[in-house]
Amino acid sequence: MDRRNNRRDAEGSSVITANRLLDGRIVWLAADGQWSPHIRNARVYSNVEIEDALKEQTASAQDNELVGVYGVQVSLSPTGPVPVTSRECIRAGGPSVHPDFTPEWQERPAVSPA
Amino acid sequence: MSHAPHSSLPVGHYAYDEVDRTFLKQRVAQFRDQVERRISGALTEEEFKPLRLMNGLYLQLHAYMLRVAIPYGVLNSGQMRTLAQIAQRYDRDYGHFTTRQNIQFNWIKLEDTPDILALLADADMHALQTSGNCIRNVTADQFAGAAADEVIDPRIHAEILRQWSTLHPEFTFLPRKFKIAISGSPQDRVAARFHDIGLMARKDENGRAVFEVYVGGGLGRTPIVGVKLRDDLPEEDLIAYLEAILRVYNEFGRRDNIYKARIKILVQALGVQEFRNRVNAEFVAMDRARYRLDEKIVAAIQARFGVPDFDPAGQAAEKLIQQRKADRAFDFWVRTNTHAHKQPGYVSVTISCKPAGGIPGDVTSAQMNLLADLADQLSFGELRITHLQNVVLGHVRQDKLYALWQTLDQNGLGTANVGFISDIVACPGLDYCALANARSIPIAQKLSERFASPELQREIGPLRLNISGCINACGHHHAGHIGILGVDKRGEEAFQITLGGAADQDTVSIGQIIGAAMSEDETVDAIARIIDTYLARRTAGEQFIDTCRRLGTAPFKDAAYAPA
Repeated sequence: MDRRNNRRDAEGSSVITANRLLDGRIVWLAADGQWSPHIRNARVYSNVEIEDALKEQTASAQDNELVGVYGVQVSLSPTGPVPVTSRECIRAGGPSVHPDFTPEWQERPAVSPA
Repeated sequence: MSHAPHSSLPVGHYAYDEVDRTFLKQRVAQFRDQVERRISGALTEEEFKPLRLMNGLYLQLHAYMLRVAIPYGVLNSGQMRTLAQIAQRYDRDYGHFTTRQNIQFNWIKLEDTPDILALLADADMHALQTSGNCIRNVTADQFAGAAADEVIDPRIHAEILRQWSTLHPEFTFLPRKFKIAISGSPQDRVAARFHDIGLMARKDENGRAVFEVYVGGGLGRTPIVGVKLRDDLPEEDLIAYLEAILRVYNEFGRRDNIYKARIKILVQALGVQEFRNRVNAEFVAMDRARYRLDEKIVAAIQARFGVPDFDPAGQAAEKLIQQRKADRAFDFWVRTNTHAHKQPGYVSVTISCKPAGGIPGDVTSAQMNLLADLADQLSFGELRITHLQNVVLGHVRQDKLYALWQTLDQNGLGTANVGFISDIVACPGLDYCALANARSIPIAQKLSERFASPELQREIGPLRLNISGCINACGHHHAGHIGILGVDKRGEEAFQITLGGAADQDTVSIGQIIGAAMSEDETVDAIARIIDTYLARRTAGEQFIDTCRRLGTAPFKDAAYAPA
């Protein structure tokens, strides 16, 4: 993953993200150790402690069926962590040009070919 | 009268045989095994990535993206329906036509990909050469085989190049990707000089094809206009000479720095004459008899292309004249969205995929199915995707245009804007792309809404507006009369404006950045002021690019950065 996503201020906070191997969807490491599609569930690390957490999660990525584990710097808001870059905000919320394609978007049932 | 193909051969593109189909099935089986090994953990992501890229599968911002090849931009109605089926069944009910005449799907699952490739193979399609450091999908004139000004149908040679380049053992691991475009008309509609190799075909005194060969053009972070290596390359030497160019590139192109790995950097570093000398040295040392492109081979390839069985022109032209007089909106659409055909009574139709406020190049599965039906009814079952992200029906009788336009208009495909400011080319940008710095689509939507008025667009006249979400320039912003480049300013999106780019062969030029980056809304307003400046200062008959060249960028820069 692009190194620019790993820019972190020493004093800041970050969350850990990845893509699911099977479908590529974005997930966030939650406080309970599960991977959630919602950034609001993400565990927030200080940027001092996140490197060790990233190493651990990268090492177990295959077991967790994940790819591209990295850290995302966030600011804290009443609704949860908010990425500091536009890029990560779009990753967290879905493409801005399809408001319905949020992480909550439920895939339509497969339609059999005519 | 039905316009279904008159023979079993598909009109406009090469008909696969059992060898082709067997190869595709083997390829699907191979990738199915690779996917299974990736999921099991037998392959690491590092090992798997080049394998999936060889099958058109990227991991983008939100999901996997599958890019499907549409060789020289031509497909038949059945293939279009297959794409619609993929969109509906495996994606989110839409696809995105790209600037390389391909289509990509943005929400693909890795585990579904082998089944999707199998579906494509059943329709004689694949995702080869849509990614990786190989020779990519060869692009061609969207009016090939139809244009009144065409001298040679470039699709035959594009197909020959496709067959030559597919899995070519020497050129599977080039220093970087390699893009070829070919035109058979004196009017360059393929941006030949912005390609690694651009070919302009014409006929010699004996009626055989000869090629102008341009090399070392490209956009991206180092935009360069290609230089002419040959003016009169005989058809029989086409494969040998291109092979020589690729060999020189493969041997001397840089592999130590991805940003300096394209052939354009090598051509600039060596100088044109030295590069030509090396190509010529390789060329004369080759076994030319082995590489000779015999007339019989060309004829054999051509024989596998179906040709339209045109009806007599009859009163088609007269009927069209009457219908245009009776309906001004239709008349305007005919003016902007049709192109002169070599066959009396016919035209080529460009169907705009750029409605006001829409996403450039996106079409729904319902629209794909409609386009397939219209191709069957009106254009011998054949469709083309343009590098400007529109769709062309190549052969439509003039007296069928009115009904076609009405149907398109009822389905969001009737916008009369081809070649105008709202016919915007845009990459997917930061809404989808892992490389992007800024979103391309929202600013395209705002601009197309800002300039949606047909009257205003007609007043402004021909104008090409291209948007890229990063310096990789997939939206070809340097080639736009007005270009927009998305940049990252400390994590925030911002946009630079370029002016004066053009891809036309004789007046090709690279757009120049006029100043500092602005916010999205500031950029939209700045472009509106640039247009106002053009309208105020143009002379009679002058198009935007002409005024831009005459005045230079200074007055437009002043307007763009004028205080609100």
